[in-house]
Amino acid sequence: MALLECQEVTKNFGGLMAVTNVSLQLEKGEIVGLIGANGAGKTTLFNLISGFYPPTNGSIRFEGDEIAGLKTHDICRKGLVRTFQLVRPFHNMTVWDNVMVGALFGVQKCKNVSRAKEEAMKVLEFTGLHEKKEIPAKELTIADRKRLEVARSLATKPKLLLLDEVLAGLTSTETTEAMKLVRRIRDEMGLTIFMVEHVMKAVMGLSDRLIVLHNGEKIAEGNAKEVSKNPTVIEAYLGEKLHM
Amino acid sequence: MTTSKLGKYLSGLGLLGLVIFLCVIPFYSTDYIVSVLLDILTWIGLTQSWIILSGFTGYISLGHSAFFGIGAYVMAILWLKLPYPLIILISAMSSMTLAFAIGFPVLRVRGPYFVILTLGLSEFAKYIFINYEVNVKGTVGRILLGVPNIRTLYFSLLIIAIVTILCAYLIKRSRFGYGLFSIKEDEDAAESLGIDTSIYKWLALGISAFFPGAIGATMALRRTYIDPYSVFDPIVSFQIIVMAFFGGIGKLHGPVLGACILTLISEFFWARYPHYYLIILGVILVFIVKIMPSGILGIFDLFGKAGKVVKFVRRK
Ligand SMILES: Nc1ncnc2c1ncn2[C@@H]1O[C@H](COP(=O)(O)OP(=O)(O)O)[C@@H](O)[C@H]1O
Ligand SMILES: [Mg+2]
Repeated sequence: MALLECQEVTKNFGGLMAVTNVSLQLEKGEIVGLIGANGAGKTTLFNLISGFYPPTNGSIRFEGDEIAGLKTHDICRKGLVRTFQLVRPFHNMTVWDNVMVGALFGVQKCKNVSRAKEEAMKVLEFTGLHEKKEIPAKELTIADRKRLEVARSLATKPKLLLLDEVLAGLTSTETTEAMKLVRRIRDEMGLTIFMVEHVMKAVMGLSDRLIVLHNGEKIAEGNAKEVSKNPTVIEAYLGEKLHM
Repeated sequence: MTTSKLGKYLSGLGLLGLVIFLCVIPFYSTDYIVSVLLDILTWIGLTQSWIILSGFTGYISLGHSAFFGIGAYVMAILWLKLPYPLIILISAMSSMTLAFAIGFPVLRVRGPYFVILTLGLSEFAKYIFINYEVNVKGTVGRILLGVPNIRTLYFSLLIIAIVTILCAYLIKRSRFGYGLFSIKEDEDAAESLGIDTSIYKWLALGISAFFPGAIGATMALRRTYIDPYSVFDPIVSFQIIVMAFFGGIGKLHGPVLGACILTLISEFFWARYPHYYLIILGVILVFIVKIMPSGILGIFDLFGKAGKVVKFVRRK
């Protein structure tokens, strides 16, 4: 059974078809990249999967259960969590508290604050944020905010992590670091990762498989080589943008 | 580590001392002093209850005057029919029930719209009671006879205020509290981390409405005459907000401090220049918003920081 299965998912914003009839499957332990030009519908697809709004049509199954139409917090508690393209840390909380909220709620639901603090500490160490644990989130650099966004999601103990452009806006050293983290999340924590990414080299290097969206439709799927040779993809947008 | 433990121990002792002092003082002071302290306790309880909703979740309520008014009216209706602590409890439950009843639709509205909606609802509640008085009962207000003496009322309010502070304190340190702070920081992010934001806000509103109900009930006995205009007075809500922000809503003792200081100021001005009081309240509000967004406590923080800088420079 696939971990996540979308069948003919459609989202219509008052006439604008942001996502049209998208079907896809994610297997346990995969890193799958979701690519496509700006406005292709990637974030919208993430919003549908994570329950920010219900799909106009179609079914979304997580571990076999229908989750389309469930509330976001219920989906999170089932083990599916997302990060935001424009990071949204709790600015006035410390890094530690931010991550602790993930541990308090989410799948594992630590019953008390001190237990959650311990759990959060483990995640802080894993993500390399432990030295900044007492700093309010608003004082972090962009790279660290993105890292915090990931750490906070990890603290909920998910099975599937949706990453929305966590590499965007990072320097090349920061990108390498972040890529290493993504790979470790899969290899060491055993999570499945579905990531939207614009940095082609990174997403091609990280992903086992790529899914390409164009104007809300899925136009191609496969490994990096297959996708970059796909004529529809080249015609649609890769040709001008992809310099491999 | 040890100094912070010692600090906690000392502040705990200080708190205990304060409570003992507040328990003993009414037996050694005039009625006037007791009445001022009673006012202070009232405002401490009201601001602290407001903090549970508005301080923790960021949903600024201008509706707490309605919860106060409901409590006062339930007391007026049941007075002499039941034992008085029981009526206080029923009043509190009534306010809470009302809050739960309106909670879900009201809390869907965010930001300034929420503020205006709560103001509108509390005015609406006022007119329902005006209508009830005039058309159903054929009266204007109610007189409460045979009320307990001022010291009894003082102790009732002391208990209510302590329970309110304790409740806010326990919530603040709990899982529930962190859920509420997350909502204040970013509701969507909170939801995405597994927090049932609708239920959390709803519970916070209900708990927050409980205490003004109890306080309103007690104050009805203190005033001995109530009518809808006086107990549903929107000034109550405004005053709560000014006190809370004046003290600083980031910490629990901020609003307590704000309530103490502003009650004393208002005591002074009501007696001498009643018409200027509201103007002064307004000026204070503008001053806080513009100049010291973290309230009086913020000023202390500044001193603290300045002290650290001085120490640092000296060491160099
Ligand atoms: N909440 C919304 N309401 C209306 N239109 C939206 C909304 N969210 C996204 N869209 C539109 O849907 C399309 C896809 O957007 P998005 O999913 O953000 O693209 P991507 O993440 O691939 O850049 C865009 O045309 C965008 O303007
Ligand atoms: Mg996007």
